[in-house]
Amino acid sequence: MKINLEILSATHLVADEEIGDLRTKELVPKMVFRRRLTRAAKLVVEAVDKVGFENGRIVYGSAFGELKASANILSAILNDQMISPTDFQNSVYNTAVSYLSILKNNKNEILTISSGDKTAEKILKVGAIKALDGDEILLLASETMNIENIEQINKCIDTLENVVALKVRVTEEKANINILNENNSKYPESISQMIEIAKNYDENKQNVIEIQI
Amino acid sequence: MKINKKAYINNFHAISSAGNSAEELFESICEKKDCISIDNTYVKDREVAIGKIKNDKSFKELLKEGCKKVLDESSLDDYSDTLLIVGSSVGGMGVTESVYFKDKSYENIDYKEHTIDSIAYNLKKEFTFYDDVSFSTACTSSANALGYAKEVLLKGIYKNVLVVGADSLCSTTVCGFAALSVLSSKPCTPFDKNREGMNVSEAIAILLLQDEKTENSVELCGVGYSSDSHHMTQPHPDGLGARNAIENALSDASITFEQVDYINAHGTGTIANDNSEANAVASLFTNKPYLGSTKSFTGHTLGAAGAIEAIISVMCLQKQIVVPCKNLETPNRDDISFTNEALPCDLNYVVSNSFAFGGNNTSLVFGKCNEN
Repeated sequence: MKINLEILSATHLVADEEIGDLRTKELVPKMVFRRRLTRAAKLVVEAVDKVGFENGRIVYGSAFGELKASANILSAILNDQMISPTDFQNSVYNTAVSYLSILKNNKNEILTISSGDKTAEKILKVGAIKALDGDEILLLASETMNIENIEQINKCIDTLENVVALKVRVTEEKANINILNENNSKYPESISQMIEIAKNYDENKQNVIEIQI
Repeated sequence: MKINKKAYINNFHAISSAGNSAEELFESICEKKDCISIDNTYVKDREVAIGKIKNDKSFKELLKEGCKKVLDESSLDDYSDTLLIVGSSVGGMGVTESVYFKDKSYENIDYKEHTIDSIAYNLKKEFTFYDDVSFSTACTSSANALGYAKEVLLKGIYKNVLVVGADSLCSTTVCGFAALSVLSSKPCTPFDKNREGMNVSEAIAILLLQDEKTENSVELCGVGYSSDSHHMTQPHPDGLGARNAIENALSDASITFEQVDYINAHGTGTIANDNSEANAVASLFTNKPYLGSTKSFTGHTLGAAGAIEAIISVMCLQKQIVVPCKNLETPNRDDISFTNEALPCDLNYVVSNSFAFGGNNTSLVFGKCNEN
């Protein structure tokens, strides 16, 4: 079975260490709320603003989740220190989109997928199946790996901060963007497929991808 | 989009602090056995009550054995035409902790054993699935896995779906909830005036859903989702998100509030969660169906909770029994019906609630299958 998705809007942001020039202060005016945001949450807020998605169903994904919060917790336990409650509440994989839902007052279904190196592929499949209901769906992925000593485990990913957003709906039109199944890029393999789609998005034409279920 | 199909739960298996099989789990609940133990190894200088699996085999072995058992008892020869959906909040964090605490370095952590996907990764070494996907929405993870299973069956995309809810105990979760000051030092007593808090626990819950029913099938007939959009860890005090999820689930099942006979509550035993859920239930169900939390037996199994409570709900319908609450001596609500004894009843529909960090809410409706 295959489902074709029209990409209505797309964006991606990547950086070797830290994505700069974020407009978090403007997009999240309440300081108390802004201060709690994880790096992934800030990137997600930025990407969602760029694709112009306000409210609706979201399929989000990350292979590694909130690494910084998890690393802080591990370090605290190892060193017999108290765990920060904020680190713990921010350590769940759905943290970034949960902050987004609070910010946007989005009360819809928001799903978080974590399927290792195949996370992007699964976001696309789940998103396509959900989009059969006819609504516009936001497909979102991020990896934020810029933590102290990450080089101890990361041997192949160049870009430690990554976010990608695709606003989609089902279409009968033919696909005109190829989806790469091999990861030959410097991005995390988990979400590189979606980053490549976003890179190929052309706002001056109709953009369609074919999802093999 | 829906085509004229249904989602039937045909086989299942559960391992938790309340037993090494689904039958043991249900028996422990009906007989009100003590299943939660006191632990002083996880949290420094403090005893906390946790739900620990009592089995000499490793979590990984139990997971593989459980999937094999479900396969052997099913109509399938293998899982090659089956979608695997995993729901987990912890994934391989326990494995990561053991390496990191020993080495004090990330160097020897195998990332494939660390992530949420580690559960599917290990199962795929043993079984061939058509495809797989892992969900991680904290404590709604496996409830969302069940919701998606229903969706792909009803849309005619798959005929067989294996849902695995699995989370093991680890320092991150036990110490993390301790940091939030919500852990109880004794077995939890949801909805009791004198409750202390919750019990972090571990469990494996496996359900095979198919689009054709077999003997003793129970239908997953409704799924409702919502987001609180309120707070990262505190549910809306009036239970608005919970209300939306329950309303959406009943609408999806095309049934009325009066048709619901029993509600398996999320009921963690924390004041914020219990009050929010009780407010939602009391405002929706004027017929006062029985409400109970089975977390006083299983503890809060986090990402596995939705799946293990789905199994309990299914068994309630199969055995036509409303399961009891445990140690609920002084209910803090008089507008909700509780039972402290297992009650034989005519049960047609059971609702199971799961709520999570980030205000992620999922309600499931299970229905007795009629003969035709």
